[in-house]
Amino acid sequence: MRAFRETGFEELLTAFLGRSSILPPPDPGGQREFLEEYLRAGAPEFPFLYRACLLALRALSLIMKGRPFSRLEEREREDFLNRLLSSRNPLLRGTALLAGMPLYMSYYRRPEVSVPLGFDPQALRDEADLRVVTRDRSLPPREEGKP
Amino acid sequence: MILTPEEVASDLRLEADVAIIGSGAGGGPLARELASEGHRVVVIEEGGYFTRRDFNLRPSEAYMRMYRDAGQTVTLGMPFILLPLGKTVGGTTTVNSGTALRMHRPVLKKWQLAHGLREITEGELDLIYAHLEEYLFVKRADPEVAGKVARTFLAGAERLGLSCGWLPRNAKECEGFGSCVFGCPSGSKQSVDVSFIPDAVAFGADIYTRCRAERILLREGRAVGVSASFLDPVSGRPNGRRLEVGAKVVVLSAGAVSSPFLLLRQGLANSSGQVGKNLQIHPAVQTVALFDEVLGPPRGIPQACYVDEFQGEGIMLEGGTVPPEVHALALPFAGRRHASLMEKYPNMGIFGGMVSESDSRGRVVDLRRAGGRPAMLYNLRGRDVEKAKAAVVLMAEIWFAAGARRVFTPIAGHYELCGPRDLRRLERSRVRASDFYGMSAYHPLGTCRMGGDPEWSVVRHTGETWDVENLFICDGSILPSSPGVNPQLTIMAMAMRIAGFVDEKLSA
Repeated sequence: MRAFRETGFEELLTAFLGRSSILPPPDPGGQREFLEEYLRAGAPEFPFLYRACLLALRALSLIMKGRPFSRLEEREREDFLNRLLSSRNPLLRGTALLAGMPLYMSYYRRPEVSVPLGFDPQALRDEADLRVVTRDRSLPPREEGKP
Repeated sequence: MILTPEEVASDLRLEADVAIIGSGAGGGPLARELASEGHRVVVIEEGGYFTRRDFNLRPSEAYMRMYRDAGQTVTLGMPFILLPLGKTVGGTTTVNSGTALRMHRPVLKKWQLAHGLREITEGELDLIYAHLEEYLFVKRADPEVAGKVARTFLAGAERLGLSCGWLPRNAKECEGFGSCVFGCPSGSKQSVDVSFIPDAVAFGADIYTRCRAERILLREGRAVGVSASFLDPVSGRPNGRRLEVGAKVVVLSAGAVSSPFLLLRQGLANSSGQVGKNLQIHPAVQTVALFDEVLGPPRGIPQACYVDEFQGEGIMLEGGTVPPEVHALALPFAGRRHASLMEKYPNMGIFGGMVSESDSRGRVVDLRRAGGRPAMLYNLRGRDVEKAKAAVVLMAEIWFAAGARRVFTPIAGHYELCGPRDLRRLERSRVRASDFYGMSAYHPLGTCRMGGDPEWSVVRHTGETWDVENLFICDGSILPSSPGVNPQLTIMAMAMRIAGFVDEKLSA
């Protein structure tokens, strides 16, 4: 999606996700791929709305900080996003919330991120395969439930 | 049989006794009951069919495959509310938490007195509930399996002397994989896709998946069938092949959003003007707590326990935990602040509270959205805002009583509470509907409400519409108001009841 390139996708990712001492850095390529799939899977208006949020972030950066988002220092970008997120104005807050939501999902879904946090879907999947539950009780007489 | 569009080579024209649109908490039980009586049943389901092997515990994939619009359904109003709806065989029961509660008794009295539903009696419902609870293996969550987050929260509630306990769930031999809302990977959760639907198929019902009902066919004012389109599994768009089912009875069970929408688009069954109106949801808020000790989410039962101290006032607290990818969305911070908190994910607990009886009402409307999608208009009213705030305050109190270091709330200006002082500040503050960060809601209900008078209701107590003979509605849309708890068991109970009337009609 062009909007990801236009707004400086990497800067956006780092601004939302921050730099962690124990988790791997963002993966712009893989995350962009997921985002495109995720936006396609949703309501037809969603990609447009998402693009509008990214553009609004750029505009707000100019208005509130006097510089484009991509020219802000890393700390300034984070402060800017936190200011939006903590705003009592629902439009400002909603813009940052909507812009960030799929970015968080695209990052924390990666096994190299979720496993160090203690969530290993593959291991749980394998364990679940050992515990298949069946409906091995005969059904109660139907009369009990009839009106 | 459960059929996919790939198995259908050309347009199909079928004859059946009953055509059911939707296979969720309403359509699934109805299909099983009627098929077991020997009726020829065809179910038309817009979503795909997935088995436990397809459930890989990855939230984003579940959203994209099993939720309507990839889980991005929102209500339009103040605030915007995320309203996730299942779109798969089993409907939302496939992706819910498995809470199986009987309706709040005073609500039934209200239905009888205010909605003219005297035919629905407590005794009759008790019988049906008991049957369902046995059929669905309903039992209280096992504290050993529930996980440390639930045990910690409940210990906090008990310390404060609040009424609380373990939730009854339709789960058999649950081992707590922490993934109910993304599909149960062990088959433990007895959602409609693993219980009623397989039984219905065993009795001879056919389920057509990825097939969108477009029109209810009418002749001389009676419903006589359904016209539908098969969908491409990737794009979700019609693939060019059509299904037409001629039926003696048509049952609309597409849920409280899609059922009224189909009627509105066709201008059907709406002489009362009530179709699409009276939309009720359970607005929900969540709190995240940070502890010194490791709690180990999301392993356990995501929604294992409840606090019902204020159920009478319309506030219910129900768990639960979520994987990091969803947990991250509940923290209203960006950058290093976000990263440093997410690093402590293993030490965090999350709990939810819902406005179980609200004054706010919304509407399902046709705004001519692309792809023929419904829109929902909904504003959270003042008293419900207060209830949502009260739920947040109550959860924070419980977390602190349980030993939390910090509690994070979704209320702008009060995101981080470091102790009782911050909590008091939140209690004193005036909160507006627009102050909630990322509010979600569940359980849409009431948009084709049942009642004793055709002037202000859409269906009779039997589920049949007042206006169109042989057209029944059987899903959450017919409940005249919220049952005060998670509604799946009540919707199923209504389906069992309606099955009796449909059977009578077919046998006559």
